[in-house]
Amino acid sequence: MPEKRRLPTLHIIIVGCGKVGITLVEQLSREGHDITVLDINENVVRNVTELYDVMGITGSGVHMQVLREAGLETADIVISVTGSDEINLLCCTIAKKVGKSLVSIARVRNPEYIEELPYLRQQLGIAMIINPDLEAAREIGRIISRPQARSVNAFAKGHAELVRFTIPMGNVLDGKQILTLDRFFSFGYILCAIERNGEVYIPKGTDSLKAGDDITIMAASRDVNKIFTAIGMRTGSLKSCMIIGGGKTSYYLARQLLDQRMDVRIIESDPKRCDELDALLPGATIINGNGSDEQLLKEEGIDAVEAFIALTGIDEENILMTLYAKRIQGLKTITKINRITFNDVIDDLDLGSVVYPKYICAEEITAYVRARRNSIGSNVETLYHMFDNRVEAIEFHIEKGSPVIGIPLMRLKKKDQLLIACINRNGRILFPRGQDTIEAGDGMIVITKHKGFGDASDILL
Amino acid sequence: MRSIIFILGWIMLVLAVLMLLPIATSAVYEETEGLAFAVVAFLSAICGVLLIRTKPATVKFYAKEGLACTALGWIVLSLVGAVPFTLSGEIPSYLDAVFETVSGFTTTGASILRSVEQMSHTTNMWRCFTHWIGGMGILVFLLAVLPMVGGSNMQLMKAESPGPSVGKLVPKVRFTAQLLYGLYVALTILMILLLIAGRMPLYDAICTACGTAGTGGFGIYNDSCASFSPYLQWVITIFMILFGVNFNVYYLIFLRKFRDALRCEELHWYLGIILMAGLLIFRNIAGRFETVEQGLRTVFFQVATIITTTGFSTVDFDLWPTFSKTIIILLMFIGACAGSTGGGTKVSRIAIIGKSFFSYIRSFLHPRAVRKIKFEGKEVETETLRAIFVYYTGVFLIVAVSVLLVSLDGFNFETSFSAVAATFNNIGPGFGMAGPASNYADFSKLSKCVMIFDMLAGRLEVFPVILLLYPRFWREVGMEIYTRRMRSGRGYMDRRRLHNSK
Repeated sequence: MPEKRRLPTLHIIIVGCGKVGITLVEQLSREGHDITVLDINENVVRNVTELYDVMGITGSGVHMQVLREAGLETADIVISVTGSDEINLLCCTIAKKVGKSLVSIARVRNPEYIEELPYLRQQLGIAMIINPDLEAAREIGRIISRPQARSVNAFAKGHAELVRFTIPMGNVLDGKQILTLDRFFSFGYILCAIERNGEVYIPKGTDSLKAGDDITIMAASRDVNKIFTAIGMRTGSLKSCMIIGGGKTSYYLARQLLDQRMDVRIIESDPKRCDELDALLPGATIINGNGSDEQLLKEEGIDAVEAFIALTGIDEENILMTLYAKRIQGLKTITKINRITFNDVIDDLDLGSVVYPKYICAEEITAYVRARRNSIGSNVETLYHMFDNRVEAIEFHIEKGSPVIGIPLMRLKKKDQLLIACINRNGRILFPRGQDTIEAGDGMIVITKHKGFGDASDILL
Repeated sequence: MRSIIFILGWIMLVLAVLMLLPIATSAVYEETEGLAFAVVAFLSAICGVLLIRTKPATVKFYAKEGLACTALGWIVLSLVGAVPFTLSGEIPSYLDAVFETVSGFTTTGASILRSVEQMSHTTNMWRCFTHWIGGMGILVFLLAVLPMVGGSNMQLMKAESPGPSVGKLVPKVRFTAQLLYGLYVALTILMILLLIAGRMPLYDAICTACGTAGTGGFGIYNDSCASFSPYLQWVITIFMILFGVNFNVYYLIFLRKFRDALRCEELHWYLGIILMAGLLIFRNIAGRFETVEQGLRTVFFQVATIITTTGFSTVDFDLWPTFSKTIIILLMFIGACAGSTGGGTKVSRIAIIGKSFFSYIRSFLHPRAVRKIKFEGKEVETETLRAIFVYYTGVFLIVAVSVLLVSLDGFNFETSFSAVAATFNNIGPGFGMAGPASNYADFSKLSKCVMIFDMLAGRLEVFPVILLLYPRFWREVGMEIYTRRMRSGRGYMDRRRLHNSK
């Protein structure tokens, strides 16, 4: 048994315990960091400290004294995710002035700052500025460019993609054994996970697929479209969409989609906001009205668009509207969920693609923290949570002397519920077979139901 | 519920390990009492291991489980810890043995023994060592050594650590607990060394230091500390006061934040009260002493022993004038600082209710004035304030009912009241029949039971023990077990019974 490397523990201060703050606390505390949480609301702080093993301090993130009490001098990372951009920026600036070696991460969401962000980042010495609305819009954009998929994640610096989609009724894959899939796909790929009736499996060759299964396949980016062609699903991006709600995410998304020459219709209930959007997005059709009005949706041509994107601030409305839109054959639906935590129920609802801005934002930050930790010992490069955190896809950098090097994969004593999905060798994506070996310098992508891996050797029994 | 059983298992296992100390002592002094300890430790370890095997998937504690687990843990600890006393025949009555053990773990120091000098070294070592364990708390110890991943176990620490609002020193519960025990061990060792420097034998030094560190008060001599040299008495006085200080202060000192440490408001109140009480008593009884040094030493020793709720004595303060005795009774209820090893109702609570009292009076002058109560430079949360008032109501109720029950024994009021006050506040000696020169042996069985309850309620700060007496709590526990049985399909008989009753 190779000696396990002990991962360094980072001292992280999280300012602001909103949706993103809590999600961050949950993810980072599970990874074993020392976390101190700051919020001005004492009730929120009490809640967090009761749920998670973290220290809570009531106070403002821009007060020197409060920050010192939270241990600013010894902190490695300060993450400011309060509701106010200005507080976040100020907090990070102060933190940076005190602790020269710490890194600070701020959430800034006001579109007015977006042009200044690179300048602000440089001048204020902030390591990372994250905009959850923009990130959510980008994710939605990725989904629209691969409309068959429910979600798309990039690995190996974009060389490989992890696509998740549902097998439609009557598809060629229905009832096929996994071993026989090679007949359809003439390129490298690997089937990573199957979700059936709310359970997630890491598949074995003898398992067979069924219509309605949610499957996750990893392939090189250029081959992803071939997957869909091979199994007879249409490819190519969409031409028109309807967006409900005219918030920040809608704005970023519309801008992106308009650039791709898509036909964009936005339904927004606030007339003032409609005027603003009209000025900001010259190419889009802005409709003033209530998206939960069935007549209006019909009138504005819900039957005629290819994608329906529910982005209002009220989750319940988004879900209902999507369920309505789902009744139209072939309509691609995307739902944004901000707040609701009943993930299992939402999964069961068959909403099509669901986007959680808080997870996207927290995931980005967590990935940064991992990279930070990486520089002190761990060699995780990317990590994605799939199926509501039940499965992790991790990209490891293999260093010299790692115990996994040089052993044919079929003889590697791996843990259960774990799959070596692919190997990134100098930008080439390999889908390994039993005789292949892992070499130093490779990037190894592992799919697993285990949690908290920090080193490539963790995959061994 | 399974989390609680799991923790109880660990408590029994740890108890077995801790019993190695008296077993070792008996080996050194070649006494036979160690055998009783060995038997109990062995059985306790077996029970512990069996219970630990029921480990649930996640060990998670909400407020309810945390409180219940703490109370049950302490009861198990006391019941098992008492067995060797009876088994070895040194305390023939099991009730008396339980009283003595509870008195030990809760750091009370009230004894039913008429003469401790007749006890074996083994037994005396165990008596003093229970103080040391109880001082910082067994669950805090468990949290420090058990790697419990997932979830927060803060509820356990909150339920066991004294004080109105329990915070962490560092983000993780485990390291907080380790730090607390680290500081505790360091201070104890320092004290043992200083006692040895005063020519105290090693055995006596360990026992005395354990008794002081836990602010317990079991002595190994019948006259407690009266026969010790002035140097030793001063050392004990100073360390009693030190162990009554909030351990956060030591952590700050450990971090070299001396200014922050000295700024601690509770510390000012605490030292202020000690100084005031000491000088008032000294003025009252100065005529009784030959030298000023002897007077100051005696007075401050008693003040320290009472306010930190230790319970050693160098003089029979039952013979003092009423004014001094009243001050002592008041000190009993004030107690030590929050986050220390001492008992009582805690200086910080007294300070906060004092402040809120005056703030209320002021509101008559300016009904609309906004005035938040501040403590340690921070606003006191409304929830904390409410908890403090509820706590005092609980204290009042328990003390009132206990005095009523103890008074059935027919002793005078001074005896009954001070006995309850001294046990509830975990001090030890009271006045009259319960005074420093006598012991609790003559109380009736009922009174002993009442006082056992008082000691536990006082150490765990009322709520955990009250929860166990609250019928609704048990109803819910029963409901939970029932529902789980039905769900898991094991409740076939239950379902049939239900079916038949319809």
